Amino acid sequence: MSKPVIIQTWELTKYYGKVKAVDHLNLTVHEGEIFGFLGPNGAGKTTTLLMLMGLAVPTSGTATVGGYDIIKASRDVRKIAGLLPEGAGYYEDLTARQNLRYIGQLNEIPGPEIDKRAADLLEAVGLDKWADTKVEKFSRGMRQRLGIAEVLIKRPKIAFFDEPTIGLDPQGTKEIRDMLIRLNREQDLTVFLSSHLLYEVQLTCQRVGIIRSGKLVAADTIENLSSKLAGKGKMTIEFELSMVSPGLIQAIRDIDGVTSVDQENRKVYVHMERDRSGVISEAIMKHGATILLMKPKEYSLEEIFLEYYREV
Amino acid sequence: MTGTITVFQKELADHFGSKRYIVLFALILLLSTVSAYQGAEFIRNNPQAGFLAVFSGAQFGFSFITLMVFFGPILGLALGFDAINKERTSGSLSVLLAQPIYRDSIINGKFLAGATALSLLGVSTITVMCGVAIPLLGFGPTLGDASRIVLFALLTVLYLAFWLGLGLLYSTVTKKTSTSILMSVATWLFCSIVITIVAALVANTLVPVSTPMGSFDQRIIQTTEYTALLQRRSAIQTNIQRISPASLYNEACSSILGMTGGGMFGFMGLGRGAGTPFQSLELTQGIIAVWPQITAIAVGLVVCFAMSYMLFLRLEIRPGG
Repeated sequence: MSKPVIIQTWELTKYYGKVKAVDHLNLTVHEGEIFGFLGPNGAGKTTTLLMLMGLAVPTSGTATVGGYDIIKASRDVRKIAGLLPEGAGYYEDLTARQNLRYIGQLNEIPGPEIDKRAADLLEAVGLDKWADTKVEKFSRGMRQRLGIAEVLIKRPKIAFFDEPTIGLDPQGTKEIRDMLIRLNREQDLTVFLSSHLLYEVQLTCQRVGIIRSGKLVAADTIENLSSKLAGKGKMTIEFELSMVSPGLIQAIRDIDGVTSVDQENRKVYVHMERDRSGVISEAIMKHGATILLMKPKEYSLEEIFLEYYREV
Repeated sequence: MTGTITVFQKELADHFGSKRYIVLFALILLLSTVSAYQGAEFIRNNPQAGFLAVFSGAQFGFSFITLMVFFGPILGLALGFDAINKERTSGSLSVLLAQPIYRDSIINGKFLAGATALSLLGVSTITVMCGVAIPLLGFGPTLGDASRIVLFALLTVLYLAFWLGLGLLYSTVTKKTSTSILMSVATWLFCSIVITIVAALVANTLVPVSTPMGSFDQRIIQTTEYTALLQRRSAIQTNIQRISPASLYNEACSSILGMTGGGMFGFMGLGRGAGTPFQSLELTQGIIAVWPQITAIAVGLVVCFAMSYMLFLRLEIRPGG
């Protein structure tokens, strides 16, 4: 975390009419990290990205990207930062190469350099075979890869990706994920990845920020976030027993520290505040049942984040 | 500025490659050639008519001016109606706006590209018409005629650019191309057909003419009261039609080409718009006479473009388009 700050927001706020899309957001991203921006649909992720890139104007508050103010110097921000917007579109009548070249020209890259970069990028994203095919014939995955190439042609310091794998098959998702990780490692690109797919963020990002109703509810590494939750004294153990009787369930419930018990055929899930597994095993033995299986139930990432989404 | 030039080049290349532009260009070129033949025929039958009647004279009712009155709106609107909203729906606009360019370079580049494509269409059509008419007639335009033709071409470009600006405005105001195309079609129908009918109806209500139209009783037709009545009626009709830029263009062209009485709406070649009588107006006089019309078209263009410009600069990209 000793790396310099590259994105910083101060009380960034955006209203659409009376609806608060982003609510006093304070966020810090460091150079060279892959930052995951997590939140349910409509939490304000896209709006934040649009504001950071100067496509939407904040109602109040401000931010800097790469040291440039997003309001006063939004054009400078766009010189060093690339964005793959949600639902990015391309010119259907043009080929992949022509699309890429147009974006290159808008970035004022000299002609021969554009051709060189375009050829390299098309190969890097695996579109070299379709470089001269019109985009109208492209599949969703191919379009998304072209979008990544368009972000990279300006050689940005920071790349914003808004739901880059939405609507892609597992193969395509994996390819894009690997590509982002590779770019981050090889070119020291700061990646700001917005997503509601927790699994994807877990695999890719070093640090995540969780946004809910426009507010940042947490920002930390995934491990720290889960241990925080676990530290709140929530624990579940799954037992599989040879037999289950109502008396047994009641006996477990009565144990001090157990909050609740769920039963599913011969499986029993015991939720407790602290580890009471020893006492529970004794109770089970007393009732003449045998423990066939006993394992602590780990919180899935999904559960962790649902917890954060719920919290105020 | 580099941004504007890049957008301009890309958009112009798009126009030249688009089926829409090619089809319209071919259609106009074909119809103009036909109208040049008609114009030449008209000049042969009316020896007092000069070379310029190539553009206004029509044996079968389809002079070049009529053609532009009728098809001009389509040409301009077709090149402009989806300029902004198509990119908005497809999502390429947000990609474009994420590049380090000023926002106005997008709309400037698009307008300039459309205007250039339309100018090329207008000027080349007029040139082709001259090329067709000269060998048919055996004589060409005089120096005076040539300057009128240049002015006429400029006016035509201005007129087409007005419709382009209106199309651009529609594409900025609406989110969907289906809405803006409907607005364009409605505008076109209104300006080229509905307004004539409305004008005729209103004029007829305000100044009823008692004589049945079929009657050719010379005594009635030649009375001064009757002529005055008809003149009042036609004045009302012309004034109402002036709402339509197409009608303003028609008047301005007739005057620049040196014809009086060209004010009648010439759709289908009816009325006196065919270019008679040939009281050749001096060019300067002609321009002064229709200066208000020319100004009105130019102001219309500026207003349309300025409005789209402001709206586009304030356009907010929202999540989900």
